[in-house]
Amino acid sequence: MDIGALFGAIGHIFAPWTFFMLFIGTALGIVVGAIPGLSGAMLIALTLPLTFYMDPFDAVVLLISMYVGAISGGLITATLMRMPGTPAAVMTTLDGYPMARSGQPGRALGLGITASFVGGLIAWIVLFTITQPLSILATRFGPFEYFTLIMMAMVLIASVSEGSLVKGLISGLLGMLVSMPGVDPATGMPRLTFDQYQLNGGLQLLPVLIGTFAVSQVIKDCMDRGGIPERQEVGNSKVLMSLRELKSSAGNMIRSSFIGTWIGILPGIGASIGSVVAYTVAKNVSDTPEKFGHGSEEGIIASEAANNATVGGALIPLIAMGIPGSVIDAILIGALTIHSIQPGPTLFLTNNDIVWGMIAAALLANILMFVLMTSTVKHISGLIYLPKAFVLPIVMMFCVIGSYALNNTMFDVWVMLAFGILGFLLEKASIPLGPFVIGFVLAPLGEEKLRSGLMMTAGDYSPIVTRPFPLAFTLMALALLVWPFISERRRKAKAAKKAQG
Amino acid sequence: MKKLLGIAAAAMLSTTGMAQAEWPEKPIKLVVPFGAGGTSDQVARVMQAAIEDSSALNQPVTVVNVGGHYSIGARQVMEADPDGYNFLIIHIALMGGEGTGALDFSWRDFKPVAATGEFCLAPMVRKDSGIDTVGQLLEKAKAEPNTVIFGANIGAINHLAGVMLQESLPGAKFRFVQIGGGTANFTALTGAQTNTTVLSGAEVINFTLLPDGTENPESQIKPLAYTGAERFDGLPDLPTVQEEGFDMTFCIKNWIFAPKETPQEIVDGFADAIGAGIKTDRFQKFLNEKGFAESFLTGDALQKDLDDTWAAIEPVAKIAAEN
Repeated sequence: MDIGALFGAIGHIFAPWTFFMLFIGTALGIVVGAIPGLSGAMLIALTLPLTFYMDPFDAVVLLISMYVGAISGGLITATLMRMPGTPAAVMTTLDGYPMARSGQPGRALGLGITASFVGGLIAWIVLFTITQPLSILATRFGPFEYFTLIMMAMVLIASVSEGSLVKGLISGLLGMLVSMPGVDPATGMPRLTFDQYQLNGGLQLLPVLIGTFAVSQVIKDCMDRGGIPERQEVGNSKVLMSLRELKSSAGNMIRSSFIGTWIGILPGIGASIGSVVAYTVAKNVSDTPEKFGHGSEEGIIASEAANNATVGGALIPLIAMGIPGSVIDAILIGALTIHSIQPGPTLFLTNNDIVWGMIAAALLANILMFVLMTSTVKHISGLIYLPKAFVLPIVMMFCVIGSYALNNTMFDVWVMLAFGILGFLLEKASIPLGPFVIGFVLAPLGEEKLRSGLMMTAGDYSPIVTRPFPLAFTLMALALLVWPFISERRRKAKAAKKAQG
Repeated sequence: MKKLLGIAAAAMLSTTGMAQAEWPEKPIKLVVPFGAGGTSDQVARVMQAAIEDSSALNQPVTVVNVGGHYSIGARQVMEADPDGYNFLIIHIALMGGEGTGALDFSWRDFKPVAATGEFCLAPMVRKDSGIDTVGQLLEKAKAEPNTVIFGANIGAINHLAGVMLQESLPGAKFRFVQIGGGTANFTALTGAQTNTTVLSGAEVINFTLLPDGTENPESQIKPLAYTGAERFDGLPDLPTVQEEGFDMTFCIKNWIFAPKETPQEIVDGFADAIGAGIKTDRFQKFLNEKGFAESFLTGDALQKDLDDTWAAIEPVAKIAAEN
């Protein structure tokens, strides 16, 4: 906790150009988050090439404010159209839309916006407090600690992603597989390049990301010729939460924020899971669980407080350990490495200004998001109906430029297109894309850590079970893998008993 | 076939002969085979601005980053038109890659243009290691071979430097472990994952000194010696490895290459422009900030330096590849 450095960074952000980045990032994030079919991951992947020539401080401020904005903007569409603008707002549709339909669209939006703000704020306090101590602990992490932590993260994301564990694992393994070509970390030699010298450095993160998230979505949107769903007009109803409401739902808000923060910290999983868990908990402890799904204010608050809280939470392992807490964080790692900034325990030492810039941006973007959303939500809701015929070609153009600009080679553009098709096919088969990207980002890191560990111990694997942290991470990973099968069997056994009885 | 090649070569000579009269008549492309932000990229971009400052050329130089593996950008330039508008900036990695067998082409497949911006390295240990000189480090690696863990990026500069260091005392043997570049090695050494590594002079300053130049008490690592032929201005108290009695120098220069068939007049013209750029205040200030030596070489001096470097690095790379 370094208050001086924090205020220094806040001051830096208030420089005109940097503040403009914060403003543009948050506003664009909200709009893109609100437009169904455009996601925050897509916006950030496409913005990445534009940050090459920016000052790294401005670049992280821009990207983080986009992250905050995009997670928040999704609630507008979720509430007014029953369509989550971003995947993270799925749970908000359950109660936001019924409440809006029952004639209280303003109140539904107000609850969501305020809960988002509080969630972001609470997560930020945790981010501010524990990141630096955690990074000091992480310097003592050796290769086996990192390897087992990464393994746990991969199992975690596969097991909790939407759909089945098997599909999550398939997706994660596929991501790992495509990360294999390139330089072998233990010998320094290119491998699996199929005599394509462009593969000597492996497949680059950016074209793969732009392909899987942006291009696949463009293909999907082109295929999807469904009509525009019915929507609720906001009209002139006020969107601010009353003090009385705030007081009565304070407990729910704080609980959901902490759940979101914690889920965010867990490596690899982000906003969607955070809001699902917080929503489920809120329903379980509620006095009126029957109202959930029919316009419950508790439901909106739980979902929105939690999904915004995951942003701050997910930044914690990113800064302290260099491990992405969510898919968007995986892209942020790419952004930092492009600027020759190595995320990880030494970030506080080597790039103190950047770390505090990230932390300060998370706070300021959250405040700005609240101001922008409450004052302009009525206008933003009009943007949701931009014809796809305008939006998609522009997005596609940015995809091509962004992929080409990375290395100035057409090869990357072909890679992007190929992964666009792959991403589209995976989604068709309802295989989630999250584990794919996390596998792609984490597998090389995990491999390097394992192999450097083995080089240190001359091929001895035993530290995985003899050291406390690696053992704990391995056991947790095993439990996560086995648990779904056990619970399935128990459920079946129960059902069989019932049938007998 | 031979005849055809001869005609092609003659045709090429005549067209390039025409080109050189007006060279440069369009912007000159300088390929950095690494991502933006790295050392080579910084040198290229400052050089680009410095050449413009010097008005040595009537056309701008454009810097193009080709990321991924450095062999991708290097190959692009090797196969580019030798028309005087394609150049490559690269360092010893090009020789290391050839020596270890990672590359299927050689630095000899290019025409050397110039060298500048030289920096050397410092072997590092933890302050609590009980090791105070590079001699003690090497003796330890000899007395207990394969136990002293050397953090490196396998196959890259710091690995080659480590191999060269161990070879300076017969019988010494480090255990090389994949850690990565300077920052990753700093972390690993601080966390006692590794016993030693090498860092560049500028990194040593960054990681062990406070901004006012005094020792940072929080830093847990220290340099033992400098691999330059002379001491490093930024760390004047640090002896060279040679002063410590081991015959070893390991420095990295930024080399500018052109495609093999580029006309000599154009190569000389670009080398002159680089020379003019290096003299500018902008470039001098950059060298100073980075702790780089000017070390500007062209022509025969450059060729000799390349030959010497290759003679020193080839056996080291072979040993590194067996590791």
